[in-house]
Amino acid sequence: METVAAGGISLFLPEPYDIFWSLVVLIILALFFYKYFLPKFNQIFDARAEKIQGGVEKAEKAQKEALAAKKKYEDRLGNARVEASKIRDDARAEASHIVSDARSKAQTEASQITENAQRALQSQQQQALVSLKGEVGTLATALAGKILGSKLDDESIQSTMINSMIDDIESDKSAK
Amino acid sequence: MAVIAGMGLSAVSTLADASGPEFPTIDDFLPPTILFSGTPFAMNRIIFIRVLITVVLVLVLGISAKRAKFIPGRWQGLLEWVLDFVKNTIVYEAMGEERGKRYVPMITTLFLSIFVFNLCGVIPGLNMAATATITMPLVFAIWTFFQYWIAGIRGRGLGGFLRDEMFPAGMPKPVYILLAPIQLIELLLIRPFSLTVRLFANMISGHLLVALCYAATQWFFIESANKAIMPLGALTLAGGIFITLFEIAVAVLQAFIFSVLATSYINMSLPPKEESIQ
Repeated sequence: METVAAGGISLFLPEPYDIFWSLVVLIILALFFYKYFLPKFNQIFDARAEKIQGGVEKAEKAQKEALAAKKKYEDRLGNARVEASKIRDDARAEASHIVSDARSKAQTEASQITENAQRALQSQQQQALVSLKGEVGTLATALAGKILGSKLDDESIQSTMINSMIDDIESDKSAK
Repeated sequence: MAVIAGMGLSAVSTLADASGPEFPTIDDFLPPTILFSGTPFAMNRIIFIRVLITVVLVLVLGISAKRAKFIPGRWQGLLEWVLDFVKNTIVYEAMGEERGKRYVPMITTLFLSIFVFNLCGVIPGLNMAATATITMPLVFAIWTFFQYWIAGIRGRGLGGFLRDEMFPAGMPKPVYILLAPIQLIELLLIRPFSLTVRLFANMISGHLLVALCYAATQWFFIESANKAIMPLGALTLAGGIFITLFEIAVAVLQAFIFSVLATSYINMSLPPKEESIQ
């Protein structure tokens, strides 16, 4: 029992070599935890926090962008619709415009043609009349000569014949 | 010497035909040196366990840290949980994040080292806590001692720290005659000594209880001449298993207590003014 009692006291008396090894162990452990283990894990924790933060921000940004894009497309679609209907209206208007234009042009042309024809007809008639008049004169004169050859002294017959002839022509002309 | 004494005892007992079980003695905690004997670097069994487990701890945690991934696996998740526990539950709970940040590495070192050292007491083949000589707990306690003195001196200066600690405000003057020395002794001796002895004594008693149960079991089952008392061995075996499990709990608990007390000693040394701001 004596040894046990002695041991009891020596339990609380640190041996120098024990102090040495305890310090070595402590320094190794402290260095390990301070310089390697905890920094390494903190790095991972920080990266993770950053990533989560970044992920959330990125998601928010993406959503915002998607919303903006959607709005843009909807706007564009609306614009396109408006534009399309405008173009359609324009085309319709233009078409009707073209049709009416063509119609009026055709009408003018037609009336012009008619008019020209009439005018030509008239001038031809006039020409015919004039040449007829001249011819009639010549004919009349010739006729008169012939008549004169037979009934030269009968003045009254001569004038009556000429007058009636001219009257005939006149009436013929007016009848036209 | 103990061995000789033991042999003597057993020789006497053999004569009496009642050789009892090989009960553990406190000589288990004063093992002979086995390496480098006689030099300042001598190693006994407990020191060898301590160095061995330190190497294992550094290797295992080092490899874990090296392989630590962004998305943790189960083992990494467990490690991270422990780190988080030390950081938040032990340190930040006591002194807040701003002040605690500086001490997280220290408390983590204390907690994990003490826990693993304590655990050696129930690891088959080691069967002895690496904290089971006075020196290791003492070294941890002295580290804590320096940390809370430095914290106090840095915050208020040596004079200010001592004045605040030895002469707490609001006491009648004569009380200080008694109080001041007590406070000083507490700061210088009681805190580190209580830290040391609490841990050391727990490890000793744990080892003694476990060894006692198993030694008795061995004796009842194998060595006892009287086979009628064999059933008692079942009882001691169950007791041994129970105490082994209990020792695992004690390993965690003592590491936790040491860390919490170290944190709170440091926290008490920090100037109280900032604490009111927090």
